[in-house]
Amino acid sequence: MRIRVLQHDPAVHLPQRPGDPTPTSRNLDPLMHPFARARERTRALNAAKMDRLFAKPFVASLEGHVDAVEVLAKQPGSLTTVASGSWDGGLIVHHLARRSQLLHAPQAHKGKVSGVCFSRAGRLFSCGVDRTIKLWSLEDEQTDNPEPLSIFNGKSPFNSIDHHYSDPQFATASNLVQVWDETKSLPISNLTFPTSTETITSVRFNLSETSVLASVGSDRTFTLYDIRTGKAERRVVMQMSSNALSWSPTFPTTVLLASEDHNLYTFDIRNFTNPTQIYKGHVAAVMSCDWAPTGLDFVSGGWDRTVRIWSEGRGHNPEVYHTKRMQRVSSALFTHDARFVLSGSDDGNVRIWKAKASERLGVVTSRERAAIEYRESLKDRWKHDAAVGRIVRNRHVPKPVHQAAKLKREMLDARRVKEERRRKHTRAGDSKPKADRKKLVVVEQT
Amino acid sequence: MDALIAKADAQGHRQKKRKIFHNATENSVKARTSVPKSLQDKGRDLNVPSHNHIANKKLRSELVRNATQTARAKALIDDAEMLLAEDAGLMQAEGELERTWRVSQPEILEEAGQDAARGRREWKLDGGTYRSRYTRNGRHLAIVGSMGHAATFDWLTGTLHAELQLQETCRDITFLHDHSHFAVAQKKYVFIYDRDGVELHCLKAHIEPTRLEFLPYHWLLASIGNAGYLKYQDTSTGQLLVEHRTKFGACSAMTQNLHNAVIHLGHQNGCITLWTPNLPHPAVQLLAHLGPVSSVSVDPSSGGRYMATAGKDSTVKVWDCRNWKGAVREWSARGGPAEVEWSQRGALAVASGGTVNVYTSPTIQQPMHGSTQPPLYLTHPIPHRPLTSVRFTPFQDVLTIGHAAGLSSILVPGVGEPNFDSSEADPFENRKARREKEVKALLDKIQPDMITLDPELIGSMASEQKLSVTTTFDGKPPRGAETPFARLPRIERLRVQGKADESEVVDPDDTAPDGRKLTKDEKEKKKMRGKNKSLKRYLRKHRKNVIDPATVAIRAKLEKQREERKARAKDQGGETRKPSALDRFA
Repeated sequence: MRIRVLQHDPAVHLPQRPGDPTPTSRNLDPLMHPFARARERTRALNAAKMDRLFAKPFVASLEGHVDAVEVLAKQPGSLTTVASGSWDGGLIVHHLARRSQLLHAPQAHKGKVSGVCFSRAGRLFSCGVDRTIKLWSLEDEQTDNPEPLSIFNGKSPFNSIDHHYSDPQFATASNLVQVWDETKSLPISNLTFPTSTETITSVRFNLSETSVLASVGSDRTFTLYDIRTGKAERRVVMQMSSNALSWSPTFPTTVLLASEDHNLYTFDIRNFTNPTQIYKGHVAAVMSCDWAPTGLDFVSGGWDRTVRIWSEGRGHNPEVYHTKRMQRVSSALFTHDARFVLSGSDDGNVRIWKAKASERLGVVTSRERAAIEYRESLKDRWKHDAAVGRIVRNRHVPKPVHQAAKLKREMLDARRVKEERRRKHTRAGDSKPKADRKKLVVVEQT
Repeated sequence: MDALIAKADAQGHRQKKRKIFHNATENSVKARTSVPKSLQDKGRDLNVPSHNHIANKKLRSELVRNATQTARAKALIDDAEMLLAEDAGLMQAEGELERTWRVSQPEILEEAGQDAARGRREWKLDGGTYRSRYTRNGRHLAIVGSMGHAATFDWLTGTLHAELQLQETCRDITFLHDHSHFAVAQKKYVFIYDRDGVELHCLKAHIEPTRLEFLPYHWLLASIGNAGYLKYQDTSTGQLLVEHRTKFGACSAMTQNLHNAVIHLGHQNGCITLWTPNLPHPAVQLLAHLGPVSSVSVDPSSGGRYMATAGKDSTVKVWDCRNWKGAVREWSARGGPAEVEWSQRGALAVASGGTVNVYTSPTIQQPMHGSTQPPLYLTHPIPHRPLTSVRFTPFQDVLTIGHAAGLSSILVPGVGEPNFDSSEADPFENRKARREKEVKALLDKIQPDMITLDPELIGSMASEQKLSVTTTFDGKPPRGAETPFARLPRIERLRVQGKADESEVVDPDDTAPDGRKLTKDEKEKKKMRGKNKSLKRYLRKHRKNVIDPATVAIRAKLEKQREERKARAKDQGGETRKPSALDRFA
């Protein structure tokens, strides 16, 4: 007779010496883990609740402007330096970490400061509606009322400015796009599409092919230029004009447009017939947009007094930030470490937000990091569960925004119903439904 | 511009992700080398379902990714079986004439190691008949005598936690989530004590309790009493969750299914009922025994698939919980009502009369006609009748029997699960681990309304709705809501099958001799006696333009009977003489 009686060896299951960690043993047999799924769901629900509980995205507000903040720019290569220009002509360079001002020029321009940008060398360019471009040095000792290093005079009010990635050149937008050299007082070339009589609202250099330039204008166009050939290459006319544009930092041909029709669009410039994705969420015109340096997320600020953070390729349910005192957001920015978002709004403040609302600032231990990642994956896994999904998806928005969204939805529904009825009562095949992304582009010109 | 586009083209599509294969070696070298195609792991043994029917590319790739991940995780779990360190106990006959049931406790003790031998004990106590209960990790034991002696202790080290003389009838004891609290079903109420035996709560809602069960993942204390009310008390919030009136009177057999938290009750009239907190009536009710039910137990080794019941009619029955149509196996236990209990590895202990019998797993569940006892694995006589409780120790080869003279625990090789999981139940956990586990368990507490018969319901897809009363605007049921075949009326079913007779049947009773149809009054007048015989009425009811096989069969049978009757009458009618006494000489 073979007999063996089970006995556990205490030497295996107890710590060898005092202070040793207690050995753990695992048995992954599903029968040893009853209710594994139900317990995991409870954990997912708790994770979703905790995520919302700790969602305190507002970090700080940077004051100093007397009037509405119009434009924000970050310095390449610096995590902390951000310049902002306002409607009263004030220009401030903020240090984000110290929350102090590196430079404060209350009367940098007469009238609104419409564009700010940094050069690689760390110098600051600002342009205004007073038809001047001013060059500022950050090394200056005098931080209050500094004098510009040089002034460039233009013929018409400027709307936007952007610096070339490496060369000492910059481009401005007024009624045409002009390319300037830092050392010359007059523009070195004027770029314009032959038939254009528009006002250019924004201009940006491509981040990869640095001689390519894109602009959006008030005549509902998006135009591409090349500064080496010195002419406009292509132009696209859309249904509504765009307010801002931003080139993707990781994918060279992707461009993001913030449109007046409450949507954002990503285009692949290889194919202009339709956008790659429509981002619907704002309930008023989108005023500005900026990519995260990872190219996976971007931020937008809107006339509806909200800042929204989108992930690339997901056209709905963005993260929404708002406060009671924040007015129309005219500029929004992702910081270089992709952890923070800046917004400049009509109330004259520059606000710092966390890019992930419930992220913990400060040192996170590896165990905590693992727990956070586990919670993230739980939420992702159980997002289709009704209770979990509701918590994950739901965002409280201010009542006016909520009402506006409701109204907008109603109007769009009514429009769709009307369209359906019209189609129903026309001869079969006469009018076919057209996808939203096919409606956007009116014409492409070269 | 062309340079820009060339750059983008060269970069390719961003979403293209590195493929991760199951083979760790391949993963480690792949970055530096190119593995020949013949050696590449194509995820072949991962049985990933294809999602070719899904048109949306994004969705399809996500589904495939998820399915691959699930398959890989499953493969890893299967691999992890190799890492299980400890072997289960066993008792095997080597010669042809050897029988495991002939082996006695002293012989097992000889073979057992020093630690294992500590499981064999006799506690001589004089507090009436005893019941016992182990914690989930099998380390701590709570005992209670019917005359009010309750004690909890760590039976491995022999440290006593609390000993109480309650001075009144006690009927059951159970630990709560761990050994720091225990509940005792006393004469009138349920009382909760902490580890040191300090009375914490008197649950006055539980009146005259007879049995207690604690559902560890839901933090529910369930009790049943002489009044027949099943009550659930949430021990994390303290509220009485729900009370169900069973309507079966006093009940003294209760157990839980560990895998779906359903409470099984055995009643005086021989019924077994299954209860969940969210149903006011039993989820399942079956008549299991001819007399009162004395004990119920659910098999934890098969995921709660089998249930054993013992009744005062001296029978033990094993039921399949998926199909309640008759017991899988039944046999009679000698010596009156039995107590039954399943072990973690699927051995069934039956204590009746003066012996404890243990049967092992595959043979108990094999269906068998008649009342043959399954082959015996081990038997042990105990001279102190009655035997009132049997409990297997989790993660040990020990069986504890409560009886009139205290408790005895015997060694039963091969019944305990050898490998425990520290995250679920750890016999060697220290104080800190216990505390941490308590907090984690509270965080993971499952809501009581999620208790269902099928524990896999949560997180599974809702089944397609079959029946629907709502209609779309054009008066048709919505797509995908067709009535299933089984729910169609009979005539519709026959029509679908092509067996319905669509031709109009003309009843000969309805036509006058001249061929015209009779009116209702005329028909009534024609009515004869005997028209309303029940069989005829049945046939008339079913005469509905349908060739129904059942009705046809009955008609044929009737016809045959009539023929026989006629034939018999003919036989007798030929020679109508009466039988005479002289017939025997013919």
